[in-house]
Amino acid sequence: MTTMYELTSVSKVYHSGTRTVEAVKGVDLTIDDGAWIAIRGRTGHGKSTLLNLLGGLDRPTSGQLKLDGRDLGRLSDAELTRVRANAIGFVFQTFNLVPTLSAAENVEAALIPLHISGAAERRRRVAAALDSVGLADRARHLPSELSGGQQQRVAIARALVKEPKVLLADEPTGNLDEETRDEIIALMEKLWRERGLTLILVSHDGAVVRRAQRLAVMTRGHLALRS
Amino acid sequence: MFFFTYLARELRRRLRQAIFIALGLAIGVGLVLTVTAAAAGVKNAQAGVLQGLYGVGTDITVTGAAPSPPKGLSGPSSGKGTQITMGPDGAQICTDGKCHALKNGYTIDNLGSASYSPISAASVSKVAALQGVTAAAGGLLLTDNQTTISSTPTQPTSFTVDGADISKPKLGPLSQAAVSSGRAFTAADANKNVALVDKNYAASKGLKVGGTIKIGGTAFTIIGLVAQAEGSSPPNVYVPLARAQAVATSGPTGGSLKNDINTIYVTAAKSTDLATVQHEIAKLLPTAQITTPSSLASQVTGSLTSAAKLANDLGKWLSILVLIAAFAVAVLLTMAAVARRVREFGTLKALGWRGGRIIAQVMGESLAVGILGAAVGVGLGFAGAAIINAIAPSLSATLTQPTGLHMMTPNGAISPTTSHTVSVPMYASVGVTAISVAVVLALAGGLLAGAFGSWRIGRLRPADAIAKVG
Repeated sequence: MTTMYELTSVSKVYHSGTRTVEAVKGVDLTIDDGAWIAIRGRTGHGKSTLLNLLGGLDRPTSGQLKLDGRDLGRLSDAELTRVRANAIGFVFQTFNLVPTLSAAENVEAALIPLHISGAAERRRRVAAALDSVGLADRARHLPSELSGGQQQRVAIARALVKEPKVLLADEPTGNLDEETRDEIIALMEKLWRERGLTLILVSHDGAVVRRAQRLAVMTRGHLALRS
Repeated sequence: MFFFTYLARELRRRLRQAIFIALGLAIGVGLVLTVTAAAAGVKNAQAGVLQGLYGVGTDITVTGAAPSPPKGLSGPSSGKGTQITMGPDGAQICTDGKCHALKNGYTIDNLGSASYSPISAASVSKVAALQGVTAAAGGLLLTDNQTTISSTPTQPTSFTVDGADISKPKLGPLSQAAVSSGRAFTAADANKNVALVDKNYAASKGLKVGGTIKIGGTAFTIIGLVAQAEGSSPPNVYVPLARAQAVATSGPTGGSLKNDINTIYVTAAKSTDLATVQHEIAKLLPTAQITTPSSLASQVTGSLTSAAKLANDLGKWLSILVLIAAFAVAVLLTMAAVARRVREFGTLKALGWRGGRIIAQVMGESLAVGILGAAVGVGLGFAGAAIINAIAPSLSATLTQPTGLHMMTPNGAISPTTSHTVSVPMYASVGVTAISVAVVLALAGGLLAGAFGSWRIGRLRPADAIAKVG
């Protein structure tokens, strides 16, 4: 089993006026390729900050954060953008779909940075991604015409259409009812198994985190692994 | 193509805002176009007036200096020359100090070089020989003043007479006159008492071909009527230069003009030579007035001048203000739109979109709004020009010149002036250059708005963008 993430003494400090907030404090963590780890914790304890660091959306203030052997903290902005475009898929709590674009176009938006030549190839991949989340018949619908669960399925299709190594999900079921939550988690588990993804999921919902292989808990910026 | 799909969808989503920004730019652009069209119309009208005043084919007009009032004007019979004095005891005419009473009803008819001092006729060939001059012709611009003596001061009636060099028909005011009835001058007319009369003046005075007109007390046969460009202030009557020299005096108090002219019409080889030629003529004739089209323009008054001022000053600043306001509104609304889309742009950055690609998307949207603004603005500009043409009153141009008469009245000395007022049609038209400038302005407005929005996107960190709403 190869290592996907290797975090050594990773900290993240924010400055807000005269106030300094250490959101992530000296986190050491190793995540194997193809693993599913859930991160649990109370609101404001650094879960989302850690996820942003793992996703290359932010840089650690100190420590080393390696993704597939590359230290994300040392990459240039352009290189970090390329890593996000190629290797990482994101799923957000609020879905974050572009409201003016249809489901298919939202999924296609993830392919734009990859410069895939040929509209036909892009359409094929978009159709396959939507089919994999069971929304082949909703391709032309706008987000406002879809239910919350369907919107999150589109967001999952958008994250997976570029065939990333890692899927990062920040409270993916936070805005869904219980039944839909179970459907979404089941779908993510299925895709994780089928595609051999490394899945890192942040949630405060016990029913969700129990499905993961490993559980980590964030408390005031510190990460502790649970069995 | 994804770029255009996204652009079109986004514009459709905030259609009202896009229309509002586009309309703001359109109003600014439309106003610029309308003002430019009006200014161009006024400029063309001015050019028409100046061309008429100036003479076709003439680059420089040289005239004798304006004569000053004769000495002794402050009292009767106190100086040399001829003076007319009106007083409680009636009118009297004094010549070289000798005075004679004038009966009421007596008409004094004097053809004089009222506005300009004489220049030697020999100067024409000297000017023609200057480097850079292609042709020069002499002329006598005269005023025929007719004053009827009465117990109360009355304004003299006058008409203008041009002594034209008929051997050089392409220079001077006569060059733009077309014979409407009768015939033109021929070489055989050089020493005959014959006249061409302006068609409109003839109509107002009941003059006809074959009839006569008294000029300086001499009867001239009218051989033709001439139509002259509307908007010009043409002479009322043309006579051969030699006859004008024989009949005219250098003002009511002056001597003969037999070997004199008071105007030289000059054509330069190149427009770039004008300054040099002007300088050379000034050296040759130091007291003469040298007039170019630009210097003549400053002498014209009337609603045409007011319109020009209005278009150039108020119109220009109004357009600039509206454009600035439109640009400001476009910038503020675009920045507000970008602020509302922080999560969207943050998500795109998370998906791996480069900042430049997102900026291009926003710039594209702003540019599309700018194009819409330009298109509507050009339409508004044409509409504005059409409205001006439909409702604008006819403009007038007035050129005031001294008659050369100096009269004493119980209330003091008066030096009557003569003024030519012409009605000038104004046609506001939208030119290709103006359209190009307007389109560039609208696009610049759109791009400026996009640039401010892009500046905000450039500062956006994806984590912040997502955290802001997540």
